[in-house]
Amino acid sequence: MSAVDGLKAAALLFVAAILQLSIFSQARVLGGEPDLLLVTLVAVALLRGSVFGAAGGFFAGLVVDTGTLSKLGLTSLVLTIAGYWIGRYGETTGRDRRHAPFLSVATITALYAFGVLIVHFVLGEPAPAGAVFRGLLPSIALNLVLTAPTYWLVRRLLRPLERTDYATEVQLLG
Amino acid sequence: MAVLGTSVQRSRNERRPSRARNAQLRRAVLAALVLAALVLLTVSFRSPTSGALHTAQGWGAAGLKPFQVAAERVARPFADAYDYVSGLTSAKSENAKLRREVRDLRAQASANADAEQQLTELKRLTRYEGLKSFPKDYRAINTSVISFPGTFTKQVTIAAGSNEGVALNTPVVTADGLIGHVTNVFPDTAQVTLLTDPSSSVPALDVTHGVTGLIQRGPQGTFILNRVPKDAVVEKGDIIVTRGTVDRRYPDYYPRGIQIGTVLSASASDIATFLTVQVTPFARFDSLDTVAALVPTKRK
Repeated sequence: MSAVDGLKAAALLFVAAILQLSIFSQARVLGGEPDLLLVTLVAVALLRGSVFGAAGGFFAGLVVDTGTLSKLGLTSLVLTIAGYWIGRYGETTGRDRRHAPFLSVATITALYAFGVLIVHFVLGEPAPAGAVFRGLLPSIALNLVLTAPTYWLVRRLLRPLERTDYATEVQLLG
Repeated sequence: MAVLGTSVQRSRNERRPSRARNAQLRRAVLAALVLAALVLLTVSFRSPTSGALHTAQGWGAAGLKPFQVAAERVARPFADAYDYVSGLTSAKSENAKLRREVRDLRAQASANADAEQQLTELKRLTRYEGLKSFPKDYRAINTSVISFPGTFTKQVTIAAGSNEGVALNTPVVTADGLIGHVTNVFPDTAQVTLLTDPSSSVPALDVTHGVTGLIQRGPQGTFILNRVPKDAVVEKGDIIVTRGTVDRRYPDYYPRGIQIGTVLSASASDIATFLTVQVTPFARFDSLDTVAALVPTKRK
């Protein structure tokens, strides 16, 4: 993992955030909304691990909160945790699994929606749980449609790591 | 023997310190980033419209604006094509509805001529500040929407800010009618809270019957004209506009006469204190594109 990788990941997430803000946030289907940024973050975290995932999530969240002029740190908080979690999955059980991107995107779409809902609720802001639940399945479906092309593109730009590069934390016994 | 491991080539003694360091580093990075996010959140929550962080966010927003505008322009033809195709499906029923509305409006036009005469008389009799002519006191700053409302926030970002004259509480309209007001302003961008936000409440007037109330978010994309007494007369098709300032001491954000919508239904129940007046908005909140911020030409 190098500084070039970091720049590539930052550029990818920046472009994904801009496209999400300006284009994908308008595309509502059956109450669901595709989230290109989340899918891109999942791809980056799976390919580069938990530290990249967390840092990428923080950076992407800042771009979103700045672009929408909403409260700084809100999206960063949830995306940081999401990126870290998916990164850990990629470093451990998810590595080399073909279904990992799809499973990760489906899971993290649901958890991200609940995470943002909880943060809004805790802050005393409108937290429309009904709308979130109604839009969840369409959102997951839309994100799964985006997963294959996005993962392919991110994988081309960020070469998959060698196995020895992963921080596994697996203990050798005996 | 390796358990759950893949890196079996290296010896235990070489890997352990490195693994421990990796784990510590990873957790430290996560903790630092979460802490940073919480600090940002706390600061921006405590001072949402001023302070150093607000200024920094303004610079960031100014930096992002060209990218957002460019992406929005690239996407616009595709969004228009989507709107066109989806609009075709409802065009037939909408055409019949519009024909009926034209008939009704023709009849209403003759009634309006009489009303105009009455209005001139009323203007002379009353000294309400809100009755000053709207175009005379305001100028429109035409701009575009560069970020759109989501599930949680009913707010949009517009590509005009304090450099163009936009200020806090500046009303924002489309060609169809009122959409909201500015709730956060930066040098080059501004945040607009839409009428569809639960916190939004606009003093409004039924121009047909002279009934006043508060426009608030209603069910399924409609508004509710709240606080209308039960004995008031409100009928389907009545036009609802902003009421404007009634008392100079309590100025309203919105100038008088900006169209909001038309009454869809009005009903009273025994247990309710007020009439239930449902209003269909004129503005299309699901496809906001070009909007205008109304800036006063006179300093208040």
